[in-house]
Amino acid sequence: MISPRITRHTPVILQGISGRAGRLHSRLMREYGTNLVGGVSPSKDVREINGIPLFTDCTGAVQATGAKVSVALVGAYDLLDAMRDAVAAGIKMIVTPTEGMPVHDALKAKRLTQEAGVLWIGGSTPGMAVAESAKLGFLPDVSLKSGPLGLMSKSGTLSYESGYRLAQRGVGTSVWIGVGGDPVKGTRYSDLVPFYAADEQTRALLIIGEIGGYDEEDFAAALKTHAFAKPVFALIAGRTAPEGVAMGHAGALTYGSHGGYAAKRAALEAAGVQVFDTLNAMVEGITAKLR
Amino acid sequence: MYLLEHDAKQLLAAHGIPVPAGCVITDAGRQPRLPPGPWVVKGQITAGGRGKAGLIQKAATPAEVRSRTASMLGQQLKGRTVKEVRVEQQIAGASEAYIGIMLDPAVAGVRIIMTAQGGMDVESLPRDALQVSTAAPDAESISAVVDKLSAAVGGVAGAALAQAGRAMAQAFVAEEALLVEINPLFVHADGSWIAGDAKFVTDDSALPRQSVQREFLNRKSSPYLETALKDAHGCDYVVVDPEGEIALLTTGAGLSMMLIDEMRASGLKPYNFLDIRTGGLRGEIKRLVNVLHWMCEGRRVRVLLINIFAGITELGEFSKLLVSALQAVPDFKMPVVARLVGNGMETARSVLADAGIPLHDDLDAALAEVHRHLEEQR
Repeated sequence: MISPRITRHTPVILQGISGRAGRLHSRLMREYGTNLVGGVSPSKDVREINGIPLFTDCTGAVQATGAKVSVALVGAYDLLDAMRDAVAAGIKMIVTPTEGMPVHDALKAKRLTQEAGVLWIGGSTPGMAVAESAKLGFLPDVSLKSGPLGLMSKSGTLSYESGYRLAQRGVGTSVWIGVGGDPVKGTRYSDLVPFYAADEQTRALLIIGEIGGYDEEDFAAALKTHAFAKPVFALIAGRTAPEGVAMGHAGALTYGSHGGYAAKRAALEAAGVQVFDTLNAMVEGITAKLR
Repeated sequence: MYLLEHDAKQLLAAHGIPVPAGCVITDAGRQPRLPPGPWVVKGQITAGGRGKAGLIQKAATPAEVRSRTASMLGQQLKGRTVKEVRVEQQIAGASEAYIGIMLDPAVAGVRIIMTAQGGMDVESLPRDALQVSTAAPDAESISAVVDKLSAAVGGVAGAALAQAGRAMAQAFVAEEALLVEINPLFVHADGSWIAGDAKFVTDDSALPRQSVQREFLNRKSSPYLETALKDAHGCDYVVVDPEGEIALLTTGAGLSMMLIDEMRASGLKPYNFLDIRTGGLRGEIKRLVNVLHWMCEGRRVRVLLINIFAGITELGEFSKLLVSALQAVPDFKMPVVARLVGNGMETARSVLADAGIPLHDDLDAALAEVHRHLEEQR
């Protein structure tokens, strides 16, 4: 499996580049330093956008550019097909910011990428970044500062706020991965534990979680399985959310005891994770440990 | 959507799963033709714990059905109001089994759980009382696992679980469910079976291609307020406390949830959760105007806190839209506190200052000002 530690040389294509979001974010990613070498758009009329050459499918784009990584900014109901296109073309890592991919499509996409050995980050993710090198997706530059903290988050905005406040206090991130807010994720926190354990720049790990699903519990179990030796911190949103309502993210849905806050917190604490109640406490706690 | 039991049973019945004869009552004064008695009267609400809250009660006479229905309608549980009651035929003399088919993201598939000892809280049963396995998310694979597990259960219950499970597998895949659960599954000595209670959670993202679920969503006075609202307006809005004092204009699910948690922990009373999705405003005030109108419905709401961390959105533009939206809702008279971070702060500051709204870049400072407004109004 490809490492999520992208560099400013990793060749990247953008599927859906001719859409509104595609045009905007191709420019912003390039300005940040991402080596965006091609775009995919079904239209044959446009040849380039923001100076980036366009192709009608991933196979053409990969053959011409040698891209290994794709960011797919296509509609929720087109995403499964776009991912099939990317996997067939030999792409090794796909980031899918699109919100609202049907869960049963995501199940198919997950099986597809797993069988092909492709790293899928998403859906409903703001993307990922290696600060001061390259970013894939929407992460705001003001929150990105290079440093020792590995960061994984289900939420975009809560991670922006956290990264921003930490950066203001001098704490930067190593590899920042938005695992996304959907119930079925291509990559879950637990899948990335071995990566962060081995990553030399990462000296500590922060997960920004929220109610719904079992990702935090499985992450806690993975920390034990892999005897993860670096300090781990967590912030979990949705402690007081009502049951039976998806709180903005499709994955942030509790029913009965399913996905509740208490079980997540207990599992994380039992695995030695320091769980914070507030953003301020999190920033103070991590700053004290890492600066 | 976490479906009401009544809707869940309609979906199950459509996939060949027998359910007790029943009807739904929304108006205590109007009782439709009841199925043969005796009955169970069940308050319809999208949350668990109905039994303990007195929302599931037996009734022996139509008069009892009427009085129980009248007392349940309007009752509140976990912040939700009972607007519908299902009255159904009591099932007697049966044993109670459990079967659930649920999404299992870890295996990119589903988890199937069953036991002959249903009825109660299955999570409190010892692990070895449960048959558990996972399957690929297609009906054939799920059915194969259902067969294996039900054979291990054995007996009359096992045979019933096999039949129910196969039908549920079809329903799970066809309806693009996240969870289908029957508890209790009533099993009679002669092998016949029927779904006593049902939990069905569906995928909002699949709604555009799920016609029956769309009908549930769009029916008059939809019980699925939040989903209906998102469907119609493109943003997530949840009243988290009808007695709340602070309206929240926020973007991003995680940050909005965290803000509510922190405010509550410090004794503040937020009224709503909102993910306005600033990126989806597209230069129009319509969504903001709708949201401001909804906030006016909170009887105790006395101050509006705006908290936007904008990765991409231009805050000067956003501030202009906000001021126009506030002007378009003259009923909205409460003080406004704004905390914004992102691009275009200088323009935002002057636009908001002209409208008499001070702009903070620190969240704690904004919360302190919210506190001050509440104190002043006390």
